[in-house]
Amino acid sequence: MQTFTIKPFDMPAGAAALREQVRAVIREHVTDGDIVRRANCWQVNDPEFSRVLGKAGLIGMTWPKQYGGHERSALERYIVLEELLSAGAPVGAHWIADRQTAPLLLRYGTEAQRQRWVPGIAAGEIYGCIGLSEPNAGSDLASVRSSARRDGDDWVLNGQKIWTTNAHIAHIMIGLFRSEEGSERNAGLSQFLIPLDTPGITIRPIINLTGEHDFNEVFFDDVRLPADGLVGTEGQGWSQATAELSLERSGPERYLSSHVLVTELIRHAGGSQDAAVLALIGKLASEVWTLRQMSLAVAGRMAAGEDPALEATIVKDLGNSLEQAIPSLIQAVVELDLSSGDALALLTAQLLQVSPSFSLRGGTREILRGIVARGLGLR
Amino acid sequence: MNEQQTMLADMAGSLFSALSHGATVAADWGRIEEMGFAGLLLGEEEGGFGGGWADAGIVFRLAGYHALALPLVEAVVAARLAADAGFAGDGFGTLAEKTEGGIDDGGFTGFLKGVAWGREAGYVVAPSPSGGAMILSPRDAVIEKRQNAADEPRDILRFSGAPVVPVDADIFALGAAARSMQMAGALDAALELAVGYVNDRKQFGKPLGKLQAVQQALAVFACEAAAANSAAVGVAQALDRGDASFEVAAAKARANMAAGLGTSIGHQAHGAIGFTHEYGLHPLTRRLWSWRSEFGGEHHWTMLLGTRIAAAGADNFWAEMVRRSDPVA
Repeated sequence: MQTFTIKPFDMPAGAAALREQVRAVIREHVTDGDIVRRANCWQVNDPEFSRVLGKAGLIGMTWPKQYGGHERSALERYIVLEELLSAGAPVGAHWIADRQTAPLLLRYGTEAQRQRWVPGIAAGEIYGCIGLSEPNAGSDLASVRSSARRDGDDWVLNGQKIWTTNAHIAHIMIGLFRSEEGSERNAGLSQFLIPLDTPGITIRPIINLTGEHDFNEVFFDDVRLPADGLVGTEGQGWSQATAELSLERSGPERYLSSHVLVTELIRHAGGSQDAAVLALIGKLASEVWTLRQMSLAVAGRMAAGEDPALEATIVKDLGNSLEQAIPSLIQAVVELDLSSGDALALLTAQLLQVSPSFSLRGGTREILRGIVARGLGLR
Repeated sequence: MNEQQTMLADMAGSLFSALSHGATVAADWGRIEEMGFAGLLLGEEEGGFGGGWADAGIVFRLAGYHALALPLVEAVVAARLAADAGFAGDGFGTLAEKTEGGIDDGGFTGFLKGVAWGREAGYVVAPSPSGGAMILSPRDAVIEKRQNAADEPRDILRFSGAPVVPVDADIFALGAAARSMQMAGALDAALELAVGYVNDRKQFGKPLGKLQAVQQALAVFACEAAAANSAAVGVAQALDRGDASFEVAAAKARANMAAGLGTSIGHQAHGAIGFTHEYGLHPLTRRLWSWRSEFGGEHHWTMLLGTRIAAAGADNFWAEMVRRSDPVA
């Protein structure tokens, strides 16, 4: 048995120059002194910075030029993402649209849908959100009840989505709805592209435990979409949505979104001889280096047209668990005054509070491990 | 794997699986020699296989996977270093983990510890007290037989004014790289045994593998085995690029972490049967426990890594780590 199939590959020529390009953009534009905004940075929104990245050609890197993309390789895109994340750049506004919405439209969408939305996404001006969870369909996603009913050529949507990150700043949602009345579980579901200014949509904030507004409830009350509101094939929503989820599992955000905390720990150590701190830095470096190997291996295989779903799930579980452990491990070896303005204390306090979400979002730890178990031939 | 590597893996896999943990140097080393495995890292012009570390990594992983009770990985590394030193030894070479003593007038006085199969080796490559490494002949030594927790020979060799051949290498790091590759294989094999066992064994009227508690535990094991295997591939790539000092430390530390969890979950999944001498789990787990300490435990490598990173400064950690695997501009 080989649990993790790896095809070794080399980073592209020009990697160093591309990194320098990204670092220069960050040096010029990420000047906000608020260190807390560097934590969990793919959920920190800064539309102005997203537009800067769009102008610099750093969004939609692999997409065809005719839709505003740049036809670069998957590994070049990976380099850009890992540089942005490791520096704690605020990439939240466009993140979902770049990672999921546009790739989904390019794969399943109609020509009109692509032309209407993808160039704006590549420009860092159009943002997306994901309509999967519902009040009674969380980990049990196949229990989705929100409905899409045909009315002439139109579709009429009713129901409710919840925990919808960025619905309040997004222009469009890709939502999973039950399009066949009376259908059960993962049959009879379809994906819809929903402009969020369509009449009948109500978006209400859900404030998280730190008082921040990331996610929302979204209500659909006789929301009327034209025929081409449907994305892909009617009734194939489940397989389309789960393929979309695999896109989000193994990227560098799974181990780098709080990398600034590791950087601050190293700064704190300075010339320190504290063995516990040095050993922790070494442990984290060992795990970060290994996860980068794993995440790159999956990216390389996806770029080659393979679907390494098990490997991607393993990366997500390991990455989430590491990121979640980091603030707690730091708290165990460094004396911190969490009421102070010290950068390490501020970041640790912030990440202790938001880190419970790391093993919940996009599939809980238990669901991920269930998928791994199935991949092992259990269940 | 390319075509040549697939052939290599097939050859190694079938031989190692036949030899496994019952092998002895006296009875079975000839078969290793016949296949030319010891020359894995030697160039074709040196009479070897012409392979790099990526190839060695495949074979070392399989040696761990099959709990091969022969000094194969040590012999491969020692043969490469002997060739570098222009040293022609007879028999197979091996590695020493640690050296205590000094070199005076070109002669080494002191002892070598953790010499794998030192009692049967033709020559031994050891860390040198004056930096780098040195090659010695066990015939010049008084040998004290020892073994690790898996009963693999780990002898102490005492020398008094013995001649040495110097060679430029970091034996401790190469040994750590080799062990991380073996550990990757042993973890995958122990995981495979555990998965097979829980799918067969029925309790409460169904296979244990249907129980979520068991599934979740084995999923954690799978993640750890995957991490160790990825680290092992990464360290081989780094060795083929050149300086692998960072990657060796990271990979051995990660393999050690994985071995801690993997052995524990592997045994728990097996229940009492895994604790018996008859069942095939212990040749893997006892090796993992032993290898976890050999050529540096977790604290050794994380301290080395942490000290190096702190000295380089916070803003260089990321840049330096990624620079190491980028092509030279």
